[in-house]
Amino acid sequence: MDVFGSFTLLLAFVCAVYAFVGGIAAIITRHPLLIKSTRQAGIATCVLIFIGTFSLAYLLFSDNFSQAYVVSHSNRDLSAFYKVAALWSGQEGSLLFWSFLLAIYVISVLIAYRHKNGELMPYVGVILAGVQIFFLTLNNFVESPFKTLANVSASGVLTPFIRLDGNGLNPLLQYPEMVIHPPNLYSGYTGFTIPFAFALAALLARYPGEKWIHLTRKWTMVAWCFQSVGILLGAHWAYAVLGWGGYWGWDPVENASLLPWLTGTAFLHSVMMQEKRGMMKVWNVWLVFATFLMCILGTFLTRSGVVSSVHAFANSQIGPWFVSFMALTLIVCFVAYIKNHDYLKSENQLDSMVSRESSFLFNNLLFLVACIAVLSGTLFPVFTEWFTPSRISVGAPFFNKIMIPIGLAILFLTGVGPLLAWRKTSTDSMKRNFTWPLAFGALSAVVAYVLNYRNAYALVCFFLCGFVFWTIVMEFYRGAKVIAARSGMGLMMSAHELAMRNTRRYGGYVVHFGMVLIFIGLAGAAFNTDVQKTMNLGDSMKLGPYTLVLQTADTKPEKNYTAERMIVEVMKGNKQIMMLYPEKRAFQGRDQANGTMVAIYSTLREDVYVVFAGMDPDTNLPVIHAFLNPLVKWIWLGGVWVVMGTLLALMPNRRAALVLSAVTQPAVSPVAPALTPSVTLREGHD
Amino acid sequence: MIKRRNLLALVFVAALSVLPLIAQQQQTDRVKAIGGKFQCMCGCSQVLTQCNHVGCTMSAAMLKNLGDWVNRGDSEATITQAFVQQFGTTVYAEPPKSGFSLIAWGMPIAYFVLGAALVLFVISRWRKRPQAVGVDAAAPVTASGAKISPEAMERGRAQAARETED
Repeated sequence: MDVFGSFTLLLAFVCAVYAFVGGIAAIITRHPLLIKSTRQAGIATCVLIFIGTFSLAYLLFSDNFSQAYVVSHSNRDLSAFYKVAALWSGQEGSLLFWSFLLAIYVISVLIAYRHKNGELMPYVGVILAGVQIFFLTLNNFVESPFKTLANVSASGVLTPFIRLDGNGLNPLLQYPEMVIHPPNLYSGYTGFTIPFAFALAALLARYPGEKWIHLTRKWTMVAWCFQSVGILLGAHWAYAVLGWGGYWGWDPVENASLLPWLTGTAFLHSVMMQEKRGMMKVWNVWLVFATFLMCILGTFLTRSGVVSSVHAFANSQIGPWFVSFMALTLIVCFVAYIKNHDYLKSENQLDSMVSRESSFLFNNLLFLVACIAVLSGTLFPVFTEWFTPSRISVGAPFFNKIMIPIGLAILFLTGVGPLLAWRKTSTDSMKRNFTWPLAFGALSAVVAYVLNYRNAYALVCFFLCGFVFWTIVMEFYRGAKVIAARSGMGLMMSAHELAMRNTRRYGGYVVHFGMVLIFIGLAGAAFNTDVQKTMNLGDSMKLGPYTLVLQTADTKPEKNYTAERMIVEVMKGNKQIMMLYPEKRAFQGRDQANGTMVAIYSTLREDVYVVFAGMDPDTNLPVIHAFLNPLVKWIWLGGVWVVMGTLLALMPNRRAALVLSAVTQPAVSPVAPALTPSVTLREGHD
Repeated sequence: MIKRRNLLALVFVAALSVLPLIAQQQQTDRVKAIGGKFQCMCGCSQVLTQCNHVGCTMSAAMLKNLGDWVNRGDSEATITQAFVQQFGTTVYAEPPKSGFSLIAWGMPIAYFVLGAALVLFVISRWRKRPQAVGVDAAAPVTASGAKISPEAMERGRAQAARETED
């Protein structure tokens, strides 16, 4: 199966090269058969990558310990659930998994548009094939997942051998979210290849701007949604597994995932300027390019070892490959832009500084500043090594100081944008639109202050959350009121109808609502407290309004690990709230490898987060580290709303058709019934 | 009179007894504040005061040193110097606001200022740019008397339809 897998990947590489070279020839000659054959080569590439990936999965599931990758990342006792995660837990597997996810996108595009956009698709096919060639080069020639174990004899002869068992999966990855988080994040990274391919193709083919934007809008939203979910799942995994009490540590790998998300979010906003006003064409093209390059750069940072990270892959030789690919991509983008930039001229002018257009520009500015600030902070230690004799670390305190004000400014614009009209907003309209949201924002800050959330940044955040929330409520209320008046439906049903008629706009507002919840949760971090204590059985510790009592401890043998478990009773006053079971897990396979399982009692107000931190080396008693983290649950709830909003935005609009129908009215004259046109609503989809 | 004097003495003694507690709290706060600016050197990349590895010899020793220096009344600069001498500049959790590291702090501000200047420049250019509209003799007339070509009207209608969609 390893030879088979290896062969399919090699064949996939050949097909991708044909799709690339043949595609360029097809663009030049415009020969229909050549166009068709290169498209089919593109599809064949994807199918072969699927087969190669399933071959590796088969080797993992069949415990084939003649394979180096299987030995390094799996063992016999590993459950089938986590054997799936073993597929991307190592460098080679994760690169193959990247090709696999990219192939899903590529085959979907090639099949979905096989009879459409004849002028554009050959270019798109070539660009996608180019990206696939790069990853297949890594899969085949640099980091192949199909390497057989062999002994080398004194005479230099290789003798294959089979290990009895493997080293097992990294304990940190043996957590359910780790089976979902990487595929989501990778789907985000790879998904941004599609808008990139369309943008570059449109630039090369001088294809009308609105068309490629329209074609790729949903692909971008899908990629963005995966990226958002991936980031949030990663944050939740860090929170629930790493046991340091937080969810975001500004680690280089976390930062790498945030970079394309920031530029992608900027693009999703500025794209509206191009669709509606024919403006910001150059900006949008470069935002898409930048998003794709950030995906590649993020992968480079994660895997090259250029920056140290707690969960970066080990140092490897693939760094130069990624740098070369990024440089090549950048050169192609620049050449395409310089050659065809005249076709990206703006069609309209700006009527007023106080308009939605301006708010989009400033929104984009902030997202980009955030992206560059994170990038430069992440790379700063490398710069210091180049220019000074020593390396200077840049950790969480730096990023918090820089990013909190930027985040708050973005939140402010989230509320301001919908309140401003396209083209120009009058002073009267501003007064009318801003009064209530500002009042609600102020009320939110006062309530937060009364509830003892007293921190300057947090209070500003609560004020802005209230402000944005009320703008969203107003947007729904105004639209729903009109529909309710015309149709006679209730306000809630009208709001639903409103959202379904313009899913993109109202889906966007739902996403904004989710972001408000996330910001509330983030503001809670200003009030985190923690206590660490060495505890004997029966001892207690105070944590805010709670008392934690260490009741007992036990050992729980499982198939792949043995858990040492503390049983901690959580009391509030004299009332028992619940029992928590923080664990330390000793995994088989890897020598003495330990994992943590945090126990969390989560409410909307706060999380009681208990970690069994280990045994005190002096007293040999368990050490319990407990955190009181306010409002964390709002972050995960916000994430759910972000996903729901994106799904809503992806749905087609429901049309409200005005239908003239003859309705019999009570007869005015006894001669004949009057036929009067009446307006009814009929649902449809566009 | 004696009673009042006794009462004053009692308050004075009580205040004196609370002072060490306040001082201790201030010391603890100072340790937390200064410790938040350094990384634990065990390789966990966590802030010194947040390193949660039980038995981590590095954070325990570093925190003990920090506590001693704070109790001795050393200034933050002196403490920083001592840590940097011991571990090198990788001990910083955030770059110092001096020398080459100032670039790290200045960069985001510079990006914002440059970006804002660029946005304002773009906006001003967009606002100045004249809109090319073909004019027909028989075209409809606006309120101000300007004539509008049928193509411009059609474009306007299409634009209005587009802009009122969302």
